[in-house]
Amino acid sequence: MLTKDLLRVSRRGGGYQPVFADREDRPLAARVVGTFQGHVDETRGDLDGALRELEGDAEDFKLVRGLAKCCEHAARFETRAPVTPSSVRRAAFVAAEELDGVVTPAERERALDRAADSLAVAVDDVDASLFADLEERQVLASFDAPWDPDGLLAQYNLSLAQTALFDAVEVRVRSSDPKALVSAVKRLRLMYEIRKSDDDGVADGSPTVREVVVTGPDALFSRSRRYGTRFARLLRTVAKASEWRLEATVDDHGTERELVLSDDDPVRVPDAEPVAEVSFDSGVEADFAARFEGLDLDWVLSREPEPLATGYRVMIPDFAFDYAPGGDSDAGPDFRVFFEVMGFWTPEYVEKKLSQLADVEDVEMVVAVDESLGVGEDVASTDAAVVPYSGSVRVKDVVDVLREYERDLVADAAAALPGSLTPADDVVTLAALAERKGVSEDALADVAFPEHELVGRTLVRPAVLDDAASELADGMAYGDAEAVLDEYGLDDASAALSTLGYRVEWTGLSGGTVREK
Amino acid sequence: MTVVLRFENGSVRVDGDVPDAVLDAVPEMEADPRSGGYRTPAVAYAAVRDALAAADVDVDDRVLDLDSLPALDTTYELRSYQEDALDAWTDADRRGNLELPTGSGKTVIAIAAMAALSTPTLVVVPTIDLLEQWRRELDAEFDVPIGQFGGGQQRFEPITVSTYDSAYLKAEDVGDRFGFVVFDEVHHLGGEGYRDVARLLAAPARMGLTATFERPDDAHEVVAELVGPLVHRLSVDDLAGEHLAPYDVKRVEVDLTPDERERYEANQETFTDYLAQSGIQMRSGSDYQELVKRSGNDPAAREALLAKERARRIMLGSEAKVDALGDVLDRHRDDRVIVFTAHNDFAYRVAERFLVPVITHQTSASERKEVLQRFRDGRYSRIVSSNVLDEGVDVPEANVGVVCSGSGSEREFTQRLGRILRPRDGKTARLYEIVSQDTAEERVASRRR
Repeated sequence: MLTKDLLRVSRRGGGYQPVFADREDRPLAARVVGTFQGHVDETRGDLDGALRELEGDAEDFKLVRGLAKCCEHAARFETRAPVTPSSVRRAAFVAAEELDGVVTPAERERALDRAADSLAVAVDDVDASLFADLEERQVLASFDAPWDPDGLLAQYNLSLAQTALFDAVEVRVRSSDPKALVSAVKRLRLMYEIRKSDDDGVADGSPTVREVVVTGPDALFSRSRRYGTRFARLLRTVAKASEWRLEATVDDHGTERELVLSDDDPVRVPDAEPVAEVSFDSGVEADFAARFEGLDLDWVLSREPEPLATGYRVMIPDFAFDYAPGGDSDAGPDFRVFFEVMGFWTPEYVEKKLSQLADVEDVEMVVAVDESLGVGEDVASTDAAVVPYSGSVRVKDVVDVLREYERDLVADAAAALPGSLTPADDVVTLAALAERKGVSEDALADVAFPEHELVGRTLVRPAVLDDAASELADGMAYGDAEAVLDEYGLDDASAALSTLGYRVEWTGLSGGTVREK
Repeated sequence: MTVVLRFENGSVRVDGDVPDAVLDAVPEMEADPRSGGYRTPAVAYAAVRDALAAADVDVDDRVLDLDSLPALDTTYELRSYQEDALDAWTDADRRGNLELPTGSGKTVIAIAAMAALSTPTLVVVPTIDLLEQWRRELDAEFDVPIGQFGGGQQRFEPITVSTYDSAYLKAEDVGDRFGFVVFDEVHHLGGEGYRDVARLLAAPARMGLTATFERPDDAHEVVAELVGPLVHRLSVDDLAGEHLAPYDVKRVEVDLTPDERERYEANQETFTDYLAQSGIQMRSGSDYQELVKRSGNDPAAREALLAKERARRIMLGSEAKVDALGDVLDRHRDDRVIVFTAHNDFAYRVAERFLVPVITHQTSASERKEVLQRFRDGRYSRIVSSNVLDEGVDVPEANVGVVCSGSGSEREFTQRLGRILRPRDGKTARLYEIVSQDTAEERVASRRR
């Protein structure tokens, strides 16, 4: 983290955005690193002077100082003096006192001679050591930068983003790793609540997004900035997630401004482990995820999806299933089922889970319960659907539950459809129409199509069928007939032929002749 | 139903059915959607407790977690004006501020209050030197170990002394461990950053001590909210002659050397030229802020600021001042002299040239202690310091003070004066003020009068 006077933010549009260093600043970063490297064995005063000269050339002196600040963490300064300065001072002060004070240069010399005598060292060493431990007279003993200029820029950008949070009074976070987030919030002795994005009362039909609102205990009474450094530390945890977004309300000298950071910004935690392979709390969960993803279902699985509010706490279910008819999560209605695997842990764990389930907000929840826990009924009484298991969770049992939701979704979608539909197309497949309407194909089963005829799984206007029929004749090669039908957009040839009163006399695996029935 | 009170990270959590009368009586109490129940800042603990008692509610009060302490005794005999101050505070329900001149024995009043209450107490002070001084004092007075937050230590004891900075950081942790809190130099509490120290402590009994309660920014009103009203006030004039030594002020004006003058004028010109060009007029602090803001992306503004700072340093650290100081030191070879400077640089120049023991922010705790101790016991008769000795530090028997470069604030002047308001062999104390002639500094010095 930097000091606040080195903060660079843009307040454009009422915002509060850190001005990150970018590729163009690379030469400057290299010069700062070079200045440190070039001043090993020289005094801090000389180093500071050289850095100040860089400031003159640079566009923004704060950037130079910020980079230097980051470098300082890798620098080691030490006092170099022939004799320990504090002992020399004591001897010199005592000597001056014995001479009734030192005013003239001659008196000073006499006092230093006495001091040198009392320490049995040379008088020059006394003068050289007297204040050798002052900060600006200390010597840069070593500079071991763990990074190259690009690494320094990365370090700077993270520090800058953290510094921008110093005056934050509240942060709101979305993260692909909510568990780490919540545990960091607790560790930093902050408080949180879960807020849903649709809580703003605007019914715009957008899907609910839950964010974790983080404040300190005192936030209830004052928009306190005392938690700023903790928010800054929290950023390290937030930025370790693969996907994240952090919004902060900043008290900028009495004006509230909004700061937004996300994984799009150049904010990386250098010593973070590379975004971890999905890790699971238990083998049961890992096993289930692997087997579920091997199936081709109308549901997409996501792990540790989002934090749910439960009473005054948070619950982060193990998985969520998002409805994705045909494997396309944009198709069909937004519908999410949460899934929690309750393995055998400790009685406290089971009790905590039960109380979470009892208080959790109104969402669709499926819980897999280890039969040996004997709490299936308790769970069922919390409105969650129960899937009992022993050993490992059977995917089929979960799929059965999801199928029930699917049936309801299909029925809901069907109920929302009109009794009859007249698509503008001459030819359209049920699949395409279903997608257009945002329903599954099954939902179209009870819909009437007064101007179309159903040929296989395709709707066709009778006029098109007539035109196609006029080009077909008894005894035509099957391949030719197929080409004709294809021209009219009828790609299910056998269904079309059958509708038009033909059958195929097959003469091998692919060839054949079209015959009137 | 019983109402449960708990201390949680600098706040008091209130669970149970709270009657409306109590909510009305304690406006700070708020429902907390994050945890359920109600919450107040810890400072309101006494108010919550009193309001619940008045409403006749059953209370399970778990807020304070106080270690047991033997009855505390003090050997001090209070002077009559100290007695009056203590009585006024006790009558104000043990919450309030006392304004007394430096050197009038404020510490003694607080020690008497601690002995009377015999409850775990936190003493909050602004500087490391005061921290040391209070610890020494309490160690000598009470037969219990004394804890310390600050100066490189974080050790809790039922009686603990802390800096404001450490208390700011620790208040959330230890806000439930003290029944009484003493704020030395309480005007610091009005600073935006330090208010939380008092807000996040639950201690019902509170005492503030200062020589200058009122702050120009009216922040003393905040102090009154956090600690209590000003319950007793005594001015220097009330005490002068009787308890404090009279003093003279001598003003020494020095010229810059020709070289310094040249550099001073050149830098000053860079600054004023920029002002003229950019149309900024230095009328108030916000004009200065504007300049600082511009310096972020305007190299000329930055150069102007740097030039101004160079001019200031030339004037504050002029060679003539060092010479003038030499004259003062020469004249007072038999006296006990304290020299104040506004900057470390100048303090070290004085120390190096005249071999005068020096204390600045950079001085280590052990060396600082050694120098002060030697000054106290007479082995050293002179000392030079940057601002660190400004407030309250007990430096006995100094009778000559030299202010080499001041910032001109009212408080600093009073308190620096206070440093030497101590009788010594019936001798008149003397304060020297050494200023550079015909510079901005002169205006600062005359503003003080």
